Amino acid sequence: MRRSTLLLLGLLAVLALAAPALARLPYHRDLVIKVLLFGMLAQAWNILAGYCGQISLGHAVFFGTGAYASTVLQLQAGVSPWLGLLAGIVLAVLLSQVIGYPCFRLRGHYFAIATIAVGEIVQTMALNWEAIGAARGLTLPLRPDSLLAFQFHRSKYPYYYIVLAFLLVCLAVSWWIERSRLGYYFRAIREDPEAAASVGIPVTRYKLIAMAFSAAFVAAGGTFYAQYVLFLDPESAMPLSLSILICLLAVVGGVGTLWGPVLGAAILIPLSELTRVQFGGTGRAVDLIIYGALLTAVAVYQPAGLAGLLRRAWGR
Amino acid sequence: MDLLTIPPSDVLIQGILSGILMGFVYALIAAGLSLIFGLMEIVNFAHGEFLMLGMYTAFWMYALFALDPLLSVPICALALFGVGVLVYYGIIRRILGGPMLAQIFATFGLAILLRASAQFLWTPDFRQVGDAWVAGPVQLLGISIGLPRVVASLASLATFAGLYWFITRTETGVALEATAQDRQAAALMGINTDRMFALGWGIGGACVGVAGAFLTTFFYVFPDVGSTFGLLAYVTVALGGFGSVPGALVAGVIIGMLEVLAGLFIAPAFKYVAVFLLYLGVVLVRPQGLMGKF
Amino acid sequence: MIRRMGRRTALEALLALLALTAVGACARPPANEVVIGVLYPMTGPVAQIGIDAKNVIDVALDIINNRHDLKLPLAAEAGLPRLGGAKVRVVVVDHQGKPDIGQAEAERLITQEKVHALFGAYFSSVTNTASQVAERIGIPFVNADSSSPALTERGFQWFFRTSPHDGHFSLVMFDFLKDLEKQKKVKFRTVGILNENTQFGSDSAKVQEELAKKHGYRLVAKLPFKSGSPSLDAEIGRLKAARPDVLLPSIYTSDAILFTRTAKNLDYNPRLIVAQDAGYTDPKFVSEMGKEAEGAITRAPFAMDLAGRKPLIPVVNEMFKKLSGGRDLSDVPARVLTGFLVLADAINRAGSREPAAIQKALRETNMPAEQLLMPWTGVRFDEKGQNTGVRAILMQLQGGTYYTVYPFELAARDVLYPIPTWAKRK
Repeated sequence: MRRSTLLLLGLLAVLALAAPALARLPYHRDLVIKVLLFGMLAQAWNILAGYCGQISLGHAVFFGTGAYASTVLQLQAGVSPWLGLLAGIVLAVLLSQVIGYPCFRLRGHYFAIATIAVGEIVQTMALNWEAIGAARGLTLPLRPDSLLAFQFHRSKYPYYYIVLAFLLVCLAVSWWIERSRLGYYFRAIREDPEAAASVGIPVTRYKLIAMAFSAAFVAAGGTFYAQYVLFLDPESAMPLSLSILICLLAVVGGVGTLWGPVLGAAILIPLSELTRVQFGGTGRAVDLIIYGALLTAVAVYQPAGLAGLLRRAWGR
Repeated sequence: MDLLTIPPSDVLIQGILSGILMGFVYALIAAGLSLIFGLMEIVNFAHGEFLMLGMYTAFWMYALFALDPLLSVPICALALFGVGVLVYYGIIRRILGGPMLAQIFATFGLAILLRASAQFLWTPDFRQVGDAWVAGPVQLLGISIGLPRVVASLASLATFAGLYWFITRTETGVALEATAQDRQAAALMGINTDRMFALGWGIGGACVGVAGAFLTTFFYVFPDVGSTFGLLAYVTVALGGFGSVPGALVAGVIIGMLEVLAGLFIAPAFKYVAVFLLYLGVVLVRPQGLMGKF
Repeated sequence: MIRRMGRRTALEALLALLALTAVGACARPPANEVVIGVLYPMTGPVAQIGIDAKNVIDVALDIINNRHDLKLPLAAEAGLPRLGGAKVRVVVVDHQGKPDIGQAEAERLITQEKVHALFGAYFSSVTNTASQVAERIGIPFVNADSSSPALTERGFQWFFRTSPHDGHFSLVMFDFLKDLEKQKKVKFRTVGILNENTQFGSDSAKVQEELAKKHGYRLVAKLPFKSGSPSLDAEIGRLKAARPDVLLPSIYTSDAILFTRTAKNLDYNPRLIVAQDAGYTDPKFVSEMGKEAEGAITRAPFAMDLAGRKPLIPVVNEMFKKLSGGRDLSDVPARVLTGFLVLADAINRAGSREPAAIQKALRETNMPAEQLLMPWTGVRFDEKGQNTGVRAILMQLQGGTYYTVYPFELAARDVLYPIPTWAKRK
């Protein structure tokens, strides 16, 4: 590793640990937490789409699975959300294999639309499933602050450090994947599936492995979201718009890179929040005009994502 | 509740008939999307918003100049032709060589921009054409069906016929088809592929403009109306096979019919589940869709 | 070169924007005013509701902050007299219908904009999460328009709802059915429920299903569907097959428009429609589909034709129309205005900006019927924070206008039953 890179990493680490102290207002802390959460979701999506080239627009399914698994277990059996988190991850990984096995036969847009289809089917099922609250959703009762209950009301610090830990684990795993044989196979599949198959890489199996990693982290994010918001319904926990947002963050930041998705979240989430705060109350949708125009502009001028811009500035 | 209900035969026949007619409308909406994909393998995620613009054009023609939607069909087609060409030169041309993902989020950003601009300009209120020429029910074989939908289906068939004629019988159409088949070869033969792409976006826009005009005779207009039809349009195109215009027609009709049948036999809540399951079932057997090229 | 320029300007524009919003976020309220945080959906499919709410709150601010000769609370003086004439200011935010945004915004409004109370949020799901924040921090939250019964069953100390919920509304519907059976000498046996499938529609459907069972009606169709469907053919087909004596829709404006049009085209003739507000009371629906939807009955806490009994209504309506571009006052804005005035009145009576004092004043609220736009018996909160003075009325579209038809003692018109078939209307 270059010295400058080490320096940068150190700087980021200090910044990460000190962030809640710098962001004094609860709303800013909330913003930082959401950046980290969505950064993790985008990076998790990136494992499948960026490294392995399978563009999924149905990742909200795994988010919802994680959120619902921990919440339902907690409400109906009193299971700790931390065990619920594990249950959500296991369930999401299983689900990812069930979805992935048939869908990985599809290419490009056919695959993308198949994942949308799966997402819509699962959301409709949740909307009509009485046992998990159907469309009315589930409300988690307020509990006194404790790590065991995964609820913190006096201060947001614990939420911040938990989601930071999630993100770091996700980044570490991604970093490891990038460097391992796994990442090499993933990239081979992304570049040319036929060639990859012809040199003996079991293509479907490796796509499924990428999907499993991806789903696991997204599900963990779902559980975190449920514990943070304490209310979920299919409209908020697994909408198509969430799947698309996750994809956008990664793509705007820089797909297939380690830092791109986090960068995308760090730019787009505050931007959409701050413009909404500034202009949203007028009812004239100015915030969305800015947001939409910016997305289009980035796509036209920086199609490889903002990470490329930074890398060039860094290299100079 | 029962898992399967058997509707009475008159309800069933009426449902199938109105479903098929709606299917033609879905097909018309999807036609332009499919055409553009066939030409340059780009999915326009702002297609629903193009439809929204077409509907607003028809609505404003009606509201400002008392022009019936049937009369504003050419205006809508022309306006959306312009939008298509403009979007091509302004955005698409610059990302042609880019990754599929950049294309997705460029058009997705455009969709947000158009939707928000519509709210900015025209408020989020619901608008409709109050007294269109075609309105109310008509008796077909003793069964009541909406006249607007019958007319819209005929328009859809006419548009498909027109597209077919244009692509196979006119010189420009043949050039367009040649570009779709093989970009390099077409360029070598002296076809200006850039202009062909622009033309493709124009025609794609015009198709959805026509759909928008006819849709206002029986559907309300508001800034988010694109998302109502957009998702179904993508599924229609994918089911029919990306790039296959006849495929879009067949898929549209199948979806329109299946939606009603699933609603009648199983439950309305699951009618789109049936549509999405059909899509998954079809592409798992035929990964290129019903009539797509691979 | 040009490309690089474009890139740089885009980046600069982005930074400038961030700086601008950061500066905006640091504004502090000056001394003598009361700030209320207002949460509504201002974008997305129901943005019009949020915009109506914002407009009517501007009317309320005008009434409170300036002198008016109106029999409404706080109209006579400029500002809040017990707070030395303090003016009321609002901070309106768009929650986009998302519970997590509602939660974050509630927190931002309280800690950053230093609001003294919160008000909103139409979507029951967003009211749920936003009021949770208010409860935790200890700031009053007044809700005027979320109809999920569960909201006031949470045992919250800081949550107050001025408007009726689905439980009240649906009870009235079934009382009406029983009374109508007696009046018209008919017997209803079956009901059908058609609901859009989010929290609003499914909550309402659930209450109605229970009540139907309790009142001895057989549920022959329960049809939840996704709001904003491109077609309702299958739903209408199901209803044609099931033929319920009474149809109970809980649907938004877009669906109400499509439902009415599809019913006409497919010749579906329900004999009695009793709708759960929402789309059926949207002024757009009334003005454009009023004639088509002849005979539709909807519950509403507010009706324009009560103007004869309530001279306040036309005056407020004129004020509203000036801001709304000609849209008439309808159910949701009327409820919002009432709820907002209740909150402002409580702050005034508290004579303090302290949350606990406002909470106490809200608990002691006792607003008489004459001071309300609504046909309620008053505003008084029970220990759960629910207004007990609520009364829902039913109104029916007759010749394109809504007339109050129930309770019978308030009725302006007799109930039109059964709804004429499409064939008979020409």
